[in-house]
Amino acid sequence: MAVVIDRSKCIYCGACVATCPYLALRLKETYVEVIPEKCTECQLCIKACPVGCISLPGKDNESKR
Amino acid sequence: MEKYDLPLIKNEYDIVIVGAGPAGSLAAREASKRGASVLMIDRRKELGAPVRCGEGLGLKHVTNMGIKLSPQAISANINGARVIAPNLKDDIIIKTPETKGFVLDRKVFDKDLAKDAGRAGAEIAVKCEAYDVIKEGSAVKGIKYIFNGKKGEVKAKVVIAADGAESVIARLAGMRDATSTLYDTDYGFEYEMVNVKLQDNGQDYSDLIEIFFGREWAPRGYNWIFPKGPDSANVGVGIGGLEAPNAIHYLHKWMSADGVKHRFAKAVPVAYKGGAIPVGAPVKEFVMDGFMVVGTAAHQVDPIHGGGIGLAMNAGRIAGTVAAECVKDGKTNAPALNKYKEQWYNEEWKKFSKRLMLRKVLEKLSDDDLNHIISNLDQKDIDLTLAGDFKPVVQKVLLKRPQLLKVLTVLVNL
Repeated sequence: MAVVIDRSKCIYCGACVATCPYLALRLKETYVEVIPEKCTECQLCIKACPVGCISLPGKDNESKR
Repeated sequence: MEKYDLPLIKNEYDIVIVGAGPAGSLAAREASKRGASVLMIDRRKELGAPVRCGEGLGLKHVTNMGIKLSPQAISANINGARVIAPNLKDDIIIKTPETKGFVLDRKVFDKDLAKDAGRAGAEIAVKCEAYDVIKEGSAVKGIKYIFNGKKGEVKAKVVIAADGAESVIARLAGMRDATSTLYDTDYGFEYEMVNVKLQDNGQDYSDLIEIFFGREWAPRGYNWIFPKGPDSANVGVGIGGLEAPNAIHYLHKWMSADGVKHRFAKAVPVAYKGGAIPVGAPVKEFVMDGFMVVGTAAHQVDPIHGGGIGLAMNAGRIAGTVAAECVKDGKTNAPALNKYKEQWYNEEWKKFSKRLMLRKVLEKLSDDDLNHIISNLDQKDIDLTLAGDFKPVVQKVLLKRPQLLKVLTVLVNL
């Protein structure tokens, strides 16, 4: 499992990329790429995201963030 | 005429710079001026876009860097700052030579700086993404890139990472502390809006940047209105990374508050901007063998207002100069390149360390404290404080708030 980014909401500002200690996220020109095998589900990116567009499927974090 | 084709990336340069923001472009300009062969690459197809910044820049940075701002790069001229208390009523207005500056159009500004680098002789490749660094032992030897669909490798005597808050290049090179931590990072969200009322209380604030403090509105950060024209502004918020739920939530909450909401009654966004703002100390090491990190990638960001452009340009200028000199001397190991860090500390650290301390103090003040302080300061107090003399203000505040003694004493000793 890995975090999922709602691209329709994401402003690709890179805040999550800066915060991911595992370099599991990479900023592209118009989106953020998730590298699932590097994601540890630590959820720091979810806390960092200024617009609340990242979630971890199966975890109840979408309503909170 | 020969057939035009995209610029060819050679196999080797003296210096390769990743990221064409203010830090990267200044480094490229200075290194090229000194005769080094320079390649500057950037992931984006258009330099300066997308903007993720309040776009404020002090006049002194422009003067110090020897930049001529094109009229199109200036959205608004700024004469001062207005700081508003958490009660959204009391304020202080600061106008000094230090607070003179601009709200920029970063799309124009960044591109202008890159053009200056190109004019100085730097090769530039846009839409060229560095996806890995090449290392031999502890030394950085180059980068791997993908450019217009083709993968390639380029060697360099010095790689300069100027890739902004993500700081992916420095982290790939092995600088672990270039990762932004929730504790030491503010997360920002901003609308560029039209139909913003830049007048309030019968006064015109269109030549001021406005900064609103308050735990309720922006915990461990602040809200801002930075004018972008007579009726336009960047309206944003930065909050501490440990705060929930997120920046946009706080921005909307503040924009809906009595005391400010009338200023946005007819406002509509024309752009969304956001990003991570490292507001803690800079990264511990600025260099490795064959490697330098500059600007926001090195967490060289003002701890109080979160501005990074001025610091980035100066770091880029120093790093580019030092890198070119080291190339000329044939010595690009960490001890040689570290002259950049030494010079940066000489020029910036005195002020930077004070502001780190001031941030700690601000974090300890409650909204009630801030309301009290801001409502009690007069112009003379403000002038003294700005001149670096905190004593009279601290004494004045302590008369009514002796419980702040511990927090504020640190200011007196700055």
